[in-house]
Parts: sequence; structure tokens; C-alpha cells
Amino acid sequence: MSTPPSKGDSLAAYFGYAEIGDSPAERKLQEMKRRKTRRRLWTLAGVIATGTLFYASLLLIEFNVAELIGQLDQFYEALLEYFPPTTYFGIPFVDVGAYVDFMIAENLILTVENGQIVWGAMFVTMAVAFAGTVLGLPLALFFGVMSSERVIPYPFNFVFRATMSLIRAIPGLVWFLILIPLAGVTPFTGALAIMVDTTGYLGRLFTDELEEIEDGPIEGIRSTGASRSQVVSFGMLSQVFRQFIAWIAFDLEHNVRAAIGLGIIGAGGLGLELYIQRQTFHYTEMMACIILIFLLAGSVELISQRVRSALRDDDTVEKSGVLEAFVNAPRNILASTMGRRGR
Amino acid sequence: MSTLTIENLSKQYGDVTALEDVSFEIEDEFVVLLGESGAGKSTLLRCVNGLTEPTSGTISLGGEPISDSQADIGMIFQQHNLVDGVSAYLNALTGSLNRVSMLRSLLQWQSRADKLSALEALETVGLLEESQQGVSQMSGGQQQRVGIARALVQDPRLLLADEPVASLDPSSAETVMGYLRKAAEEHDVTALVSLHQVNIAAHFGDRFIGLRDGQKLFDVEREELSPELIDDLYGSVETVALAKPEEIAGAGPGELDGVPGEIEQEIEA
Repeated sequence: MSTPPSKGDSLAAYFGYAEIGDSPAERKLQEMKRRKTRRRLWTLAGVIATGTLFYASLLLIEFNVAELIGQLDQFYEALLEYFPPTTYFGIPFVDVGAYVDFMIAENLILTVENGQIVWGAMFVTMAVAFAGTVLGLPLALFFGVMSSERVIPYPFNFVFRATMSLIRAIPGLVWFLILIPLAGVTPFTGALAIMVDTTGYLGRLFTDELEEIEDGPIEGIRSTGASRSQVVSFGMLSQVFRQFIAWIAFDLEHNVRAAIGLGIIGAGGLGLELYIQRQTFHYTEMMACIILIFLLAGSVELISQRVRSALRDDDTVEKSGVLEAFVNAPRNILASTMGRRGR
Repeated sequence: MSTLTIENLSKQYGDVTALEDVSFEIEDEFVVLLGESGAGKSTLLRCVNGLTEPTSGTISLGGEPISDSQADIGMIFQQHNLVDGVSAYLNALTGSLNRVSMLRSLLQWQSRADKLSALEALETVGLLEESQQGVSQMSGGQQQRVGIARALVQDPRLLLADEPVASLDPSSAETVMGYLRKAAEEHDVTALVSLHQVNIAAHFGDRFIGLRDGQKLFDVEREELSPELIDDLYGSVETVALAKPEEIAGAGPGELDGVPGEIEQEIEA
């Protein structure tokens, strides 16, 4: 029953288009080869399409390696300004003093004048992010809960869902531009933009969490004769309380970065300072801003991660009520950061 | 006046008949609903609690018709249905939700009386010391006892329990049933409990209502519960469990395995 070897060796046979024997097994083999050939053709088409798009994109942005190489000298000079060299006790190092001088001169962190604290750019950025998050939180909660099919029956919950989709379709930076007529090119508008953005994103995360909850506790609370809003808060929201806190921490982290971006287009704080220094080609000062951005975003991320990890494996949250959980949180975060959580 | 009256109760789920023309009346008793899975026990209890709307028939408590979940009917579920993230105390306290406004309940500003009643209910089920413990750290039996406490905090006239011990091991099952019986007696409430373990039912019930295929098969006092009736209800297999009904029916809790002596005394007291 074997086919002559000459047929099996040909290219057509390799791709599954040669005449081979007609036993069921041979036909199956033929079919498998043909399928593999088709799959390879699709892969090839995909690679070609991606390559073409990539090439077209490079043309569109006028990508030019020669120019990059030509500009290397200039970039090197900029690097020297980004990281101004100096020597400490004869050892060459980056001139940290230059950064600090600028941070103090421009009040990037904070100063005390006549016994009054003057908050610097870093705190303005933090305030934009924090105020925006807190303002957006109730809206996110409202839209998130109302979008859940568990709370509002099917077609009606889509009104809220669609509103959140619409908000998300427009980037936060654009929301800032839209809201400028309302409150000017100010940190206030920045906080409003973050509030809108938070409503769209955090609300959506809340809705997703709510779709996962169990029916049991809802029925349990309902059976006690509780009101509808009590069933929602005790039967449903209590099930996702920890997840919500974790998402809020994550969103705050995201909003701090967003606030820096908003600063660049006018919402003040570190972003604005960074933009001004770049416009005036003060690269050392620019790097001072970037260092503070790094410190701010990094520490907020660290805190947010610790909050989330403390919530994940913390049973004291269960033992206590909501309020106590908040009161105990700093201690637990500290404990978990120091790695003293195991008993 | 805590008479539960059920008249001509029927429930259809599409083509499936879950309950067909069931009528009975109970007052100040510990009544056990017996029957195989799918016999209609859960549907009956859910109708009484207002979680399910009956197709026809009427249910009334103390002469007033029941239409929705209400505070004076406490429900105990097979899967506890507790709020997982919080303590036994806060779970018991949810039994008082119907007595406080939304805002006060969110801020845990219940009255002193409500707070005390939550702790007393936990004491009734032997969990006062564990009241601050998170319920998800508790055993199945303990969680079910928190479920009983929650129902008690509602200050109910009627206690319903849907297979309260089905997911527990035999020893915990008897403990939980003991507390349920004690709770019903202390608070002087009528109890309607569905069970499928005949031996446990025979030990704790005063009166037995057998359901098969959604119809009431029998409605008897403890003395009348015979192997023949059980045979009719389940087929012959279960009869083995009820080998000597007179003995088990008349037995004190001390003769049951697995119930710690201390608890028995409490139950007896």
C-alpha cells in the first residue's frame, strides 16, 4: 500500500497538493498538509500586512536614522546638561547641588515664608490627582453601580454604561481642553478633567467587579426585610469592598501620572514646570523636575501597591468594620512593607 | 398570633410543576419538611419568605397575607448566605436592617438595643466569644449558627430554614440543629425546616410534612412518623436510617453521637 517515494519527495507533495495514494490514512495526511499550507499562507499574509503598515508609518513620521546619528553630538551636549558633571572630594559625579538649587529657587517642593507653608509644584500635581480622584469617586460609584445589570434591569443600565464609554472614548488631556472655558487653564480644571476620567475608568472597573458577585449574600440580606438600597450596599457592595479599595488605589496611581501630563498642557504643578524649562532649553532644571516626577509617581505607586497587597491577604479587615480597617491600614501597610506579616 | 397558613399553594417553573395545591397550617411548633431533592421543599420555603412568587394560592402569617420578604420571617439558607468580608457580629446585625434608615445602617449607628440583640443572638448560638471573628474564617457549622443569629435579630414570628445542615458533617449538623431548636424555643417562634436526613429530622421535629413531586404526601405528629411513611416518601433505602423509629423519636439528645454534652444540656435547658 505504500506510495512510490518519487511522489512523496516532490514540493507539491510537501504542501499537500500531489496525488498520493487513496487510503483513508493517506487522504487524512494530505488534508492535514493542505491545512498546514493554508495556515502558513495566512501567517505570511499577516507578516506582509504588518510590515507594510510599519513601513508606511515610518514614512509618515519621516523616520530617519541618518538624522539621529547626525544629532548625536547635540544629544550628548544635552545629556551633559541633564546630568551636569562635578566632583565630590575629587570623585566625578552628577552635580546634585544644581538640581537642589533649582528645586529650592522655583519652590518645587515646599518652602516656609513668614511662618506660612507655601506648597510647591510637586504638591500641586499631587493635589490635582488626589482632588480629582476623590471628586470622581462618588460619580464612579454611582455610574458603576447603576451600570450593573444586578441593580438596574437590562436595557436601562445601558444608559449609564454608554455614558461611561463616551467618557472613556475621550482622553483625559482632551477633557482638560474641553473644560478650559469652565475654569480656565488652571490646576482646578486639571482636577475636573481627572474627575471625569475617573468616573469613566473607575466606574467601569466597579461594574466589572459587580458582575462577579454571588447571589447568596444578596438573598440573605433581602430575606431580612431590608430596603432595596440596603440590599445593594450590604448584599452587593460589601462583597466587593476590598476590590473597590484596591482599584481606587490603582486609579490614584494612574491619576498622578495623568496630572503630570495635564500639567504640561497647563494644569500647573510639575508638568508645567517641566514644560517651561524645556521651552527655555534649561535641561538641568528640566531633569530636576523629572527626578521629582520619578519620586512622586514612584512613591504613590509603592503606597498603592502596599495598600493592595495588604488588602489581599489581610484578615484584620474581616474582623473589623470599614472604619477600623481604614484606621488600621497605615500600620498594616507598614507591617507588610517591613515583611513582618507572617505570624 | 404566629400562625402560618398556606392554602392551595402552587408554583410552576415553565412546564415544571414545583408545588401543586399544598395546604397546611402551623402554629408554635417545630415542623420539618421532608422529601427528596426536587420535591418542592425549597420552593415552598422561598414562597413563604417572599423570595419566590407563587403561581397561585395564598400564604398568610397571623392572618395577614405575605407578599414580599419581611422582617418578621427569618430565613436560614443551606449555603449560609452571609456577608463574607465582615465579622459574625456585623452579620448578625444585618438582621436589624429593616429597623434602621439607610444612612444609619451604613454608618453602623444602630440603636443600643439592636446591638445588644445581635450579641444576645450570638450568645444563643454559642458564638459570643467569636463575635469579632470574620465569618469566612469560621467552620461551616459556625457560619450556619451565625445565620441563625441573623434570623433571630430580625425578631421573627416565623423561622424558616432551607436544608440548614445539608452541607455539614453529621456531628456539626446535629449541633446546628440543636441550636436551631433551642433558638426557636427560647424566642417562642414557629419554625418550618426542610431536611433530607430522616434521622436528624426525627430527632428534632415535632411535626412532619412530607412532600413528593410537589404534593403533600403526609402531615403527621412525631408519634405517627412510621417507616412506612418514610418508605413512601423516599423508597426503601432510607428506611434503614429509621430502623427503630420509636427509639429514635423518643431518644434524648444524649443518645445521639457527636453532640457535645455541654451543648445538649444547653439545648435541654
